[in-house]
Parts: sequence; structure tokens; C-alpha cells
Amino acid sequence: MRLLLIEDNARLASLIREGLDRQGFAVDWCETVDGAEHALKINAYDLMLLDLGLPDGEGLDLVRTLRRRRDTIPILILTARGGLDDRVLGLDAGADDYLVKPFQIPELAARCRALLRRPGASLGTELTVGNVILHSAERSVAVAGRSVEATPREVDLLECLLRRAGHVVAKPALEGALYSMDAEVTPNALEACMSRLRKRLSTAGADVQIRTVHGVGYALFAPVSVYG
Amino acid sequence: MKALAGPTLFRQIATRLAAFTLLFALLDVGIVIFTYNRQPESLAQELLTLEASKAAGSTALAPDLLAGPPGAEHWAARYVEPDANSPIAPLFRTDSPGALLMDWTRRERIAGGYRISGVRSVVQDGQQRWLFMQFEGDGVRPYVPVIVNEIVQHVLLPLIPLSLLLLLFNIVAVRRVLQPLRRAEAEVDALDPYDVLLRLSEVPEPREVNTLVRAVNRALTRLDETMAILRGFTANAAHELRTPLSILQLSLDKLPPSPLRDELQADTQHMTRLVSQMLDLAQADALAVEPDTTVDLADIGREIVATLAPKVFDAHRDLRFEAIGDTSARGHAEAIYRIYRNLIDNALAHAPGETPIEVTAGPGPQISVRDHGPGISDEDLPHIFERFWRKDRRKSDGAGLGLGIVERLAQAHGGAITVENATGGGALFRVTFAAPEHA
Repeated sequence: MRLLLIEDNARLASLIREGLDRQGFAVDWCETVDGAEHALKINAYDLMLLDLGLPDGEGLDLVRTLRRRRDTIPILILTARGGLDDRVLGLDAGADDYLVKPFQIPELAARCRALLRRPGASLGTELTVGNVILHSAERSVAVAGRSVEATPREVDLLECLLRRAGHVVAKPALEGALYSMDAEVTPNALEACMSRLRKRLSTAGADVQIRTVHGVGYALFAPVSVYG
Repeated sequence: MKALAGPTLFRQIATRLAAFTLLFALLDVGIVIFTYNRQPESLAQELLTLEASKAAGSTALAPDLLAGPPGAEHWAARYVEPDANSPIAPLFRTDSPGALLMDWTRRERIAGGYRISGVRSVVQDGQQRWLFMQFEGDGVRPYVPVIVNEIVQHVLLPLIPLSLLLLLFNIVAVRRVLQPLRRAEAEVDALDPYDVLLRLSEVPEPREVNTLVRAVNRALTRLDETMAILRGFTANAAHELRTPLSILQLSLDKLPPSPLRDELQADTQHMTRLVSQMLDLAQADALAVEPDTTVDLADIGREIVATLAPKVFDAHRDLRFEAIGDTSARGHAEAIYRIYRNLIDNALAHAPGETPIEVTAGPGPQISVRDHGPGISDEDLPHIFERFWRKDRRKSDGAGLGLGIVERLAQAHGGAITVENATGGGALFRVTFAAPEHA
């Protein structure tokens, strides 16, 4: 995993690099928008961590430039700006996530992983949380190294939850992933499918946990939560 | 309700107009009295004419004619014939001897006053007769009926309808002229102190009102600019404080594990939270909600519940969300997100153990967050929205700003926050918003 960090405060940058290094990420660092453009030309990065107020320009402008070029690199904004409109401005510009300083390294790492697990992103082919592994190309699931039988819909469902592990996935998003437009969705079809998936995982001895968030959706948690 | 301070401008103007009209009438009366006093001859003439008018209509001498003017002595009144054989000397004008009788008046000075005598022609049943009158008097008293009559005839009769018409016209005119001012007044009165985008609508005339409205709008704009400066300062302060805090926090992580490191980490987190809340509050104070933005409270509720659920689950507690009916409201999405977040954080901090937290949107433009803790005691109730207030300063790791931020954000939406102890225990916070305008 190769990350590009753009941060003009040298001390903070080195602390973030060390922290993410301990979490298993390789982090390149540059201080300016120009430096970032240069680094992006030379190397392929899986994720960009971007500060907003930079010495030679505005971080949001870089986001807009990249998106205009149809560059789909996931961008996580790391900023001190926590104003009421800042988060929306950042996401509207095309960033994928927005984290306000100060933050803890485990939280930053969790957000990076979530972005990297997105479809098309680098972690897209093999999704691992706890002892559960899903190979998205083969549509196969394994728990603790042993293959587990699952229907295509259950695999789809698990993939959705794994890609957003540690986060709540809303019901409409899950239903959208399970059923094509024309298929009829009965109100408790999702609940029924989820119940079968839970049973299957627990029978296989999975150490992940799927929790219901009433009125919102479901979330899959790793054995040790980042908030622990 | 607002206290009404003093009479309205309209009433002041109307009162002054009425007073002025009255003064004018009195002045007019004064002038009449003064003028007649300077001309006793014409007064005497008028007096006899007035007395003679009482004789018209009846052949005999009427009783009030016999009485004469007040204060008159030696009053005499009788009919005379022009062809009488024994003419009484004063009946005929000495300057036209032998002439027919005609109206005349004579005023003579006598000891202790004056004597008035004269003849007036009176028409009775189509026949002309001549009435001779004479009396002696002193001072103005005999003239009082004449003066009163004059005042009624020449001052009051024309002046009263004129004054009334003038007053009526003035009332209508003043009301009309004051209308733009009244509209401006209503708009100023309706100004929401938390809505910095509102301006008074400008009126082309009158110029005074136009100037006033523009001045008020300029003041509002200046206020707006000041708030923008404050917001800018807040953004800068955020940047300046948050970066060193990040460095501090991440540096502490590098220290070898020790009780001191844990304490320092806790202190840093407390300070981080305090700084965040102070900035949140500053932003809440400067929040301007665009009047035409509609948000779905349920969507925001699902988003915040989804965001906070992992943290709540980690504390072995349950977080539930429910949407009831139509939940659209006028509001700022991120601000409402923060309202939810602060209320849920508050429930997390104050309800103990593993009790669940229930978040509800609707029905209508309102949200609520309910916990299953001890609720809020009557003695705490007046304080919970106070800034920097905490029930137990030693135990709490918050700054005591969360509910203050919620209240401020609710006010910026033209809404309100209420709290009650729910049936079955626990505190129930409810925030109401304005319904969308085009709903």
C-alpha cells in the first residue's frame, strides 16, 4: 500500500508517517501542491492524504484538478478546518473522506483501509477482516482458512459489509447491491438474507460480528474495534 | 410580548393637529371680540338689530323683547307710525326732517354710561312696521348677546366644519404618508436577530423613510461583515490550535507506556475536545441559515447514527433510529448533524451503564434524542444549557458546551430545544425546526 501525504507541517507529517508505517502503510511525503503533482506523475499511489491550506495553493483545487482529469485515486482530506460548510465543500470538490485534526492514528488507519477496500481500489480483489476472507473475483468466502458455502446473494452482502468494515452500511445501499432494478424486494428479504449469512459465519467460527443499527442498517466489526 | 413604548407617531401628529386647530379657533374668537370692542357704534347697531329680530313673527311685543338686553336700564320698545301727529323728537332723524322713517341708531354719552336709541323696520304679515328701542347701559354687558351671536355666526359656524374636514384630511394624509414607515417598522420588528441574511425592503419614497431603511440595511451589512471576520478568525484559530494539538497527541503516542503518558493523553484529549467545542460554538454563533434550504431530518439522523454507532456499540450500548412521517425542515444539514451529534454525545456521557439511546426524526420538523439514564433533576434544569456548566466538574471530561451549542444552532434555525423527563425514565431532548417554506 503506497500512500501520498501532502502536509506542510514537517513535524506533523513525520508523526503521521511513523504512525501509518506502524500500521503497515508506506507513506511518501511532500509539502506543496507542486510537489504533489510531481510525485503523482512519477509514482502510482493507492491513496492520497491531503492537507487543505498549503504554501503554494489550496488543497481543494488539487482535488478538483485531479477529478477533472478523471483521476480516481481515493482522496482523504486531513485538515484543521472544521467549519460548518467545510466538510461538504471538501466532499463536493471530489474528496472521498474528510478527517478533522487532531485525530488518532488508529482512526486514520481505519479510514484509509475503508477507502482502499472500495470497489476498484487496491484492496478490491481480496477483502480480509478478522479471519474472514472474501475473494471478490472468484466470489468465494473463507473463514479461518476453510472455504465456506454461501449463496451469491450472501456473498454480495458480505462483500458490501467487508468493504465498509467498522462502518454502518445503510439498508438502501445493501438492498441496491442485492437486487437488480426489476427484481421485487420484499420488506424483510434483506433481514432474511442477513440472518442466513450470520448463521453461516458463526457456524464456520468467524470472529467478526455483524450488528444491526435499528432504523439505519448493518455494520460488520473486526474482532478488536479501532475504538477499543 | 413586546412593551409598547409611548404613543404612535400617527397619534402624536393627530393630537398636535387637533390642538393647533383649537388654538386657531380661540385666536379667531379673540380677534372678533377685540375688533368689536374697538367699535362701540357698530356693536350698538348690531344689538338693536338683534333685539328687533325677536319682534318678527308676532304683532304684540314678545316677552323677551320686552326684557331687553342684559344689564340694560330704562329699556323701552314700542311701535311707531311714520304719519303720527305727535312725533316724538328722537324718532326722526334731525338731518333729514320730514323724511320717511328709516333704520337708524344713535349712541350718546350720558353720566355713568351711554344711551342707545334707534329704529328698525320689522316686517309682520307682509306689512312693514317700525320699532323704536331705547336703553341706557354701562360697559360691555349689554353687548354680550351680540358678541355671542357674532362669534357663532362668523367664527364657529364656518370654522367647525372647516376644522373637522381639515382634521379628517390630515388623518388620511398622515396615515398614507406614514405607511412606508409603518411597513419598515413591521419589518424591523420581524427581524430575526439570528438571521444575518435578512434586509429591509427599500421604498422609493418618502425620502426620509428611504434613507432610514438604507441606513438600517447598511448597519446590517456591517454586522454581517463583522460576523464574516469572526468566522474567518474562527477558521484561522482552528487551524492554529488544531495542528499543534495533533502534534502533541501523536507525539505522546511515541512515548513508552506509563501512567504519566496515559494521563497526558487524557489531558490532551480533554483539551482537544474543549477547543473543538469552543470553535463549534463560535461557528454556531455565526451560523446563517439560508431561508430556502430544505433538508430531510431523517437522512441526517441516519447518517449521524451510522457514524456514531460503532463508538456507541463499543461502549456496549445500543443506538437506535426511527423516522416518523414527513421529516423535511428548513435548515443547514451540517448544523443539524452537529445538533444530533451533541445530543447523542450528551446521552452517552450522562446515561449510565449499557442503557440504549433512541434517536427519532419527526413527525414534522422535529428531532429527539432519548436516553434511559436518571433524567434531569429540577435543580439542574435551569442550568443545563448554560455555557461551561457541568453537573460535576471533577467527573465530567467535557467542557459543558455541548447543549449550549445545540441551543444556539437550534436558535439559528428559528427553532427551539426543550427537555423533559420521559415517561419510563430518562431524559428526552427535543429540537424543533421551521417547516420548509414551500411545503
